Amino acid sequence: MTALFEALLASPAVILTVGAFVLFFLPRHLAQVWMLLVTAFSAIKLYTLGVGEYGALSLFGEQLVTVRVDPLSRIFAVVFHIAIVLNIVYAWGQRDRAQNFATLAYPAAALGGVLAGDLVTLFVWWEMAALTSVFLVWAPGTRATYLSGMRYLSIQILSGVLLLGGIVLLYRETNSLAFDFIGLRDENGLIKFSALVMFLAFGIKSAFPLLHNWVQDSYPKSTITGAIILSIFTTKLAVYSLARAFPGTIELVYIGAVMTIFPIFFALIENDLRKVLTYSINNQVGFMVVAIGFGAINGAAGYAFGNIIFEGLLFMALGAAMYRTGTSKATELGGLYKTMPITMALCIIGALSISAFPGTLGFVTKGLIIDAAGEAHMFWIWLVLLFASAGVLEHAGIKIPFFTFFAHDSGKRPKEAPPGMLIAMGVSAVLCVGLGIYPDPLYALMPDQAAIADYHPYTAYHLVEQLQLLLWAVLAFAVLLLMKWYPAEVPSTNLDTDWFWRVPGRRLLGWVTGASRATWIALWGIFSGRIHALMARIYEVHGPEGQMARSWPIGFMALWTAVLLAIVLVLSFLA
Amino acid sequence: MTDHHHNPHEKPGWADTKSFRNGFLAVLVIASVLALIAGFVPAWQNPHHAFDGHKMPAWIGAVWHAAIPIFFSLYGFAAFMFIVLAGQHLRKLVGRKENYYEERE
Repeated sequence: MTALFEALLASPAVILTVGAFVLFFLPRHLAQVWMLLVTAFSAIKLYTLGVGEYGALSLFGEQLVTVRVDPLSRIFAVVFHIAIVLNIVYAWGQRDRAQNFATLAYPAAALGGVLAGDLVTLFVWWEMAALTSVFLVWAPGTRATYLSGMRYLSIQILSGVLLLGGIVLLYRETNSLAFDFIGLRDENGLIKFSALVMFLAFGIKSAFPLLHNWVQDSYPKSTITGAIILSIFTTKLAVYSLARAFPGTIELVYIGAVMTIFPIFFALIENDLRKVLTYSINNQVGFMVVAIGFGAINGAAGYAFGNIIFEGLLFMALGAAMYRTGTSKATELGGLYKTMPITMALCIIGALSISAFPGTLGFVTKGLIIDAAGEAHMFWIWLVLLFASAGVLEHAGIKIPFFTFFAHDSGKRPKEAPPGMLIAMGVSAVLCVGLGIYPDPLYALMPDQAAIADYHPYTAYHLVEQLQLLLWAVLAFAVLLLMKWYPAEVPSTNLDTDWFWRVPGRRLLGWVTGASRATWIALWGIFSGRIHALMARIYEVHGPEGQMARSWPIGFMALWTAVLLAIVLVLSFLA
Repeated sequence: MTDHHHNPHEKPGWADTKSFRNGFLAVLVIASVLALIAGFVPAWQNPHHAFDGHKMPAWIGAVWHAAIPIFFSLYGFAAFMFIVLAGQHLRKLVGRKENYYEERE
């Protein structure tokens, strides 16, 4: 019991979780102050722990390490804390207790997973992340969000079940619960089933191709602040898990490359700009997955750090526009730069950063991944990543700010964003530019210090290549606009893989339910019919009107009396 | 939520003026051309390009070497054009009316 208590005390994630529950007993107007305090405690705890393993626990004779701080987990833990603070400030004044609870408890679960030193601890936090985050999907309280939340929860729990199955299988094979390198293949190059199950669990949460659509189905349906929080943690926990367990797995290069490409086209035709950003999450996580496949852990971790800041900034800017106008549809926005100039400027900084323009956080982190493809001599993958970079520029770099703040004038003249939102966006923008110009503090956090020491983002050829790629892509956009070839936004729903379970899957489920109900009724009918027939026959023979009834009551009485007397006689002899 | 609609007599915003649009376009074109020219400066080229003689057909290697100075410009322009011009046709395949799912759930 003492060991459990000490293990709980050792974890910054437990501090955040307890702090989240306290919110239910606090006056609502103190919520944000309390949340900042709790996050500060958690950050101090993380800092004072330093690199090492803590919170040892024994479970059925197995040693668990509930908290492990090493260079890989540390960079994720640091950026998670930054993101929590930014989210709290952005949502300053939010009174909804369920959302405030999830604002702390959900990142806490992701943090706990990142700091887990063993697979059991990882599983616990993995499931906690699913359970706490669904409150953010449900927060708007509509039927659509209820159904979406149920689908989201099913998929997240499926991921958890697969993770548990993988852990059990792996334990049978290795007798170890350590959360370290697992690898997809054995020494003979054959795929290990246990590893494959775990790989799939991580793949669902990091939204591998065809497993990706839960992101678009759930995140854009959440509240303004909910979508921002959701966009950060689940996929990054999965990226961390892949980086921890499957670095250098070549399959990840190809999976990641597909992830960088296909969302570009869906984002192009999507009218809901929050949904565009969710496709952007798929694309961005794709870059990280490619980096893990190359074993370029600095690229994956660094880009995850950067993405949390600049993708978060884009979500925040769009959220601010939505807060003021009530919509995130491209067809209903436009021209907001006139009355929301600060939000517009901050959004453009986020857009430049995600596009990896020199002088931004995106440039100093994405280069690590593109260079890794070059160093691995994978020419076609390198081309794919460059293509995907042009795609990022299109949907996140141009489409988001252009259709929100410029494009056609929607006629809306909303006020500038509230101070809390502006401060959070401002800090994010400062981080985008500050770390973009001077990346050393970020590089000092990188997991592979030997590799990062040799990396110099601001070489002449890096600058020339990147500027050529991006400027000429922007030029293409200008040409498309001038020629009126850029497609107009259309209010529509675009089908994606969720169609399979939302339409035919739903019908199939309805059919299976109906068929099993009909089968049950039929079987019960046959069974009860037989019973009725039997009873009727017995009644016919033995009933008051039956033939046997004419003589058996006296005969039976005599027979039963004889039987009972015989039993008594036998028992008395035995006694 | 505040939603003040605009006055029909208000002046066009700075981004809607012709002078801004022309100026922006001019700066973009000049910057793009400068970036293109910069690609021809030997000192600014990647001195140890990773793809020399690796995993690509010989003809691609030759084209690649000749195109290095302008490759990123061409590729960025072509990729963006392709994404927009080809990608918009995806709408024909997957596009449905806005309340598609609401009608079915």
